[in-house]
Amino acid sequence: MSTVQSVKSSFGKLDERRLLLLATFVPFAAFFTLVWVIPIGYALGMSLFQNPTADAVFVGLSNYVEILTGEEFLLFLWNSVLYAVSTTVLSLLVGLSLALVVNQKIRGGNVLRTMMIFPYLLPTLVVIFIWKFILDPNIGVLNQWLVEWGVIAEPIAFFSTIQWAMAAVAVTSVWKFGSFAFFILLARLQAIDPNLYERARVEGASTWQAFRDITIPHLRGAILIILLVRGIWMFNKFDIIYLSTRGGPLNATTTLPIRVYELAFNGPNFGGATALAGIMFFLLAGVAVVYFKVFEPEKEVAH
Amino acid sequence: MARAIHLDSIRKEYRTAGSVHVAVDDLSLTIPEGSFTTLVGPSGCGKTTTLRMVAGLETPTSGEIAFGDEDVTDQAPQQRNCAMVFQSIALYPHMTVRQNIGYGLKVQGVPKAERDPKIDEAAETLQITEQLEKMPSELSGGQQQRVALGSAFVQDPDVLLLDEPMSDLDAKLKAELRVEVQRLHQELDATVLYVTHDQTEAMTMSDQVILLNEGRLEQFAPPGELFDYPVSDYVARFIGTPSTNLLPAVVGERDGAYALEGDGFAVSAPADIFADRVGESITVGVRPQYLSSEGGEYELTVVAEVVEQLGTEFVVHGHTPDGTAVDVVSTEFGGVEHGDELRVGFDPADLFVFDAEGQTLCHGDDLTKSPPQSH
Amino acid sequence: MALGEGAAGSILPQSLQTRLKRIAVILTAALVAIFVTIPVYIMVAIAVQSPADVFRGGTVHLIVDTLTFRNFRVLLEDTNTVQYFINSLIVTAGATTMSTALAVAAGYGLTRFEFTGKTLAARAVLFAYMFSPIVLAIPLYVIFYSLGLLDSYFALTMALTAISAPFTIWLMWQYFQTVPISLEESAWIRGASRTRTLWDVVLPVARPGYISAAIFSFAVAWNDFTMARVVMSSDEMYTITVGASLFLDRVTIGWGETMAVSLLISIPPFLIAVFLQNYLLQGFNVGGLE
Repeated sequence: MSTVQSVKSSFGKLDERRLLLLATFVPFAAFFTLVWVIPIGYALGMSLFQNPTADAVFVGLSNYVEILTGEEFLLFLWNSVLYAVSTTVLSLLVGLSLALVVNQKIRGGNVLRTMMIFPYLLPTLVVIFIWKFILDPNIGVLNQWLVEWGVIAEPIAFFSTIQWAMAAVAVTSVWKFGSFAFFILLARLQAIDPNLYERARVEGASTWQAFRDITIPHLRGAILIILLVRGIWMFNKFDIIYLSTRGGPLNATTTLPIRVYELAFNGPNFGGATALAGIMFFLLAGVAVVYFKVFEPEKEVAH
Repeated sequence: MARAIHLDSIRKEYRTAGSVHVAVDDLSLTIPEGSFTTLVGPSGCGKTTTLRMVAGLETPTSGEIAFGDEDVTDQAPQQRNCAMVFQSIALYPHMTVRQNIGYGLKVQGVPKAERDPKIDEAAETLQITEQLEKMPSELSGGQQQRVALGSAFVQDPDVLLLDEPMSDLDAKLKAELRVEVQRLHQELDATVLYVTHDQTEAMTMSDQVILLNEGRLEQFAPPGELFDYPVSDYVARFIGTPSTNLLPAVVGERDGAYALEGDGFAVSAPADIFADRVGESITVGVRPQYLSSEGGEYELTVVAEVVEQLGTEFVVHGHTPDGTAVDVVSTEFGGVEHGDELRVGFDPADLFVFDAEGQTLCHGDDLTKSPPQSH
Repeated sequence: MALGEGAAGSILPQSLQTRLKRIAVILTAALVAIFVTIPVYIMVAIAVQSPADVFRGGTVHLIVDTLTFRNFRVLLEDTNTVQYFINSLIVTAGATTMSTALAVAAGYGLTRFEFTGKTLAARAVLFAYMFSPIVLAIPLYVIFYSLGLLDSYFALTMALTAISAPFTIWLMWQYFQTVPISLEESAWIRGASRTRTLWDVVLPVARPGYISAAIFSFAVAWNDFTMARVVMSSDEMYTITVGASLFLDRVTIGWGETMAVSLLISIPPFLIAVFLQNYLLQGFNVGGLE
């Protein structure tokens, strides 16, 4: 009886609560629907049509078939994987070693930390300009130095030769993204209770043993997350590759995102572009399922 | 103006994914206006939930709450004229101490010229005048707690609610703040409801104690009564340190005389209570302070395990020959060592007797009154 | 690595071990410092010298001996750089504001109200957070096209908000969890309405969180190339990244001007790195951003 009363008479109280509820959820839901759900649904829809933006003809999954059986699809997929794996692993190694260094509280550690922010914050375009200049075959400083020191006889056009282009793009990417792993790992390192190391020392562990038995286990989760999330981002990377090589030379650096762009705007073949986008969507969804199952990241916010 | 707090059949459930957790179950009681009442119990017993329902931060699943004659069950916390001191202290980190204390008044539209004298007065009472212009992060834990009390003080609430306000402080600060809280109670015209898991705080500060056990009311009584007349072994063990010793016993009968027979003792028992319980298992409770080396009407053997010194007293943790744990508090046992057998005496007037469910059958004074002539 | 030197702990004396470790640490630090600094230095050195000085004699001279604003002047006179910057500022300001406001509202609502489907909401946010901007850009392009919104500030602002908001929402969601609800409850009990509590207590306390969210959304919008490339199609609407990306294709613009514009683009990130890095680091603690 009193429950009924409480519902009836507490409208006054609930009103403000409801209002706030609306004010916080409506924008959130509306935003997600407008810029994520609808566009993704729209793209998946388009991928089933030929020429979807003009005289759309429903073709079912044939766009997908066309993309998947295209002779270069495997090359693009391979490029994406190669690029994602190499840049992720390298930037993890750079970030990890530097995080270990800065965590030693050396003089200038703070300066080093501030310096590491620059590459990460520098717009991709600027990073490309700088590295295009450094690696330029005619006036680039690296070629100039290498020739001077006698390492190479002829300047190398790093960004425009088939065997070097991917490496050049990868180095540029690692330069920009190495600090991501650095900051996350540094935060984890600094969160390790120093008593653990003191206890290990009292119990007779060497520096190496302490590193292996305390540091590494504490970093394991963060390292896995970095590999996964950074890996996904690098797999999906568009701008850094597009700005440095546009996917060339001869598709040597064409990854799936680059291909999506080409199909959409150089074709234009929106059916094919959205079909490839759909394939990327399902790939990501597959990885996301694993991510959600293994790491349960939503536990951080929803109990 | 202080108001009595009436709780009528309060029940609070939390539903999570199919399971229902009952935090408070059928709680009915009246807290007299202007009194200092403590809600005590182990963690998870529902005391904080009860306090939060009084504050209006939680709505009871069923039941009613009234302040005086006014039903406040459905009132928002803003409307109840309560003040609350949180366990986490909950000072606004972006406001100075002065602004923190005065925030409630500001919300109520009291102009600054009127706020300041009140804040100054509160600060003086709580000895934080010098901290008034500082930020909370610059204060020590004890000072922060004083600021929280000051905020309650200036509001002149009808009901002052304190949720384990001292649980994070050290013993010395606790003692100081206990005095402050009681002074606050004297100066304010407010009903104080104080939540703690520390029975010492409950026993020393309050007019009444509400002891909860898994969401249910176990006993609601003044501290002395709780100590001397527990309604169950739960109360007897929760109140007082070390906990009341519980000795298993059986009701025996020999030639029309009844006795509580345990390991090494047989306490004669009145027929009017025990005549129809012959053979039943019961528990005899005796506080460690009431066991003494200087004899008593009955005696008990205790094998010492650990001896702790507390000032002039010694606490012997031991067991009876059959293994029941027994603590003894006395000034006499300084030389006792592990493994020593002690003979300790007790008087029937100090005993509690509980039935197999833990409910009190009788207290010591029932055991000592002259047995009725006829049966 | 640096710490690994201790592997020889049982053989080498303690002092030598410590010294070796120290040397390894400093060596790594120096290498990284050089690796990070030199490219940035090259940019600055070329930007502030005239191309004639830098490239005299067919090789690159990186020692700055004569300062000149020539490159910047060329940018001002011969290119639309000013307009590009204005466009960038407009869409960045819009996207930063929207993304931050959305994140604060969502973060508050998601932590303060109980509802079913929180896990789903969290997963949706995280999924979007990992999503490929170019894959989102394709349908957005078609939608904006059919709505006649291509080449507008509004469209680009929406697109930029779309790619930064998943992270800022996640950040504020996490941040609000660290703001004790008792602060709000204490205000309610003192008579402050929920809305008033929001202004007086919640927003001030959440300030470090939303500054951090604002910095990240600013960085995303300012750095963006992908969305601007897709959405903007006319020279006078290009943002600075798209506008400048076309410089190298022009005959009239050389490395001097290119580095000069790079330097200008880098100023806001530089200021953030120096003055607001603590907020940035806070963002990294909950996962960082692309």
